[in-house]
Amino acid sequence: MFRYEVLMLTIPEVTKDEVAAIESNLDKITQQAKGSVLSFERWGKYRLAYPIRKNEYGVYCLARFEMPATDDVLKDVNTLLAVKHEGTVMRFLVSRLDPKAPLTYSRPTSLEEAPTKSASSFLKEKGLMSDEGFERRSKDFEEETESHDMDVA
Amino acid sequence: MAKSKSVKVKISARLTKKRMRRNGQNGAKHCRFTDNPEMIAQIDYKNATFLRAFLTERGKILPARISGNCNKYQRMLAREIRKARTLGLLPYCAPHI
Repeated sequence: MFRYEVLMLTIPEVTKDEVAAIESNLDKITQQAKGSVLSFERWGKYRLAYPIRKNEYGVYCLARFEMPATDDVLKDVNTLLAVKHEGTVMRFLVSRLDPKAPLTYSRPTSLEEAPTKSASSFLKEKGLMSDEGFERRSKDFEEETESHDMDVA
Repeated sequence: MAKSKSVKVKISARLTKKRMRRNGQNGAKHCRFTDNPEMIAQIDYKNATFLRAFLTERGKILPARISGNCNKYQRMLAREIRKARTLGLLPYCAPHI
């Protein structure tokens, strides 16, 4: 038995059903070869280092499977991702894993996991906007509008 | 008219560095991966944040002469960086503005 892993880069608009279809197809291929899928993870959305197929963003998926070594099955996996799911999978890389090595790994944090901040709290933190300043500005604006009304009357 | 003549002494930077290295004052280059299995385990194409430390500002692979890696792990690093580049995790070069 050998362990393999595939890292797939899919288009940013990929739906849950399309990801599930890839997973089920991989499962089918490996089960025909008397193997099994160990794990299938969706990493989430990432900003790419350079545009691929004119996409600035992409969704990564990592699949790991185990099966007896046969080149034909690996060719099937290649054709599945390169031909059948050509529309959704932009890039993929199949690599063989060391069977003794642990399955843990580290990856960069995705955009979905990154902490988000509202614009006003960010500006307050940086000292770019104080509560008073903002109020005074709005007051000035009100006065201006009043004077303008007077002129018209 | 006693003018103090300033005498220029030529000191080669390369030779002083060489002497420093020989005496062991400046710290000899040491590979951070040899005899450090925890660090070696981090060399992986999926671990893009770690590999980014071995790229220059413009996105080139940092030479071993700068990073101090030994040849074995420099090759390993370069291989994983190239894998990560094809997948869009690392840049080939810095983006145009």
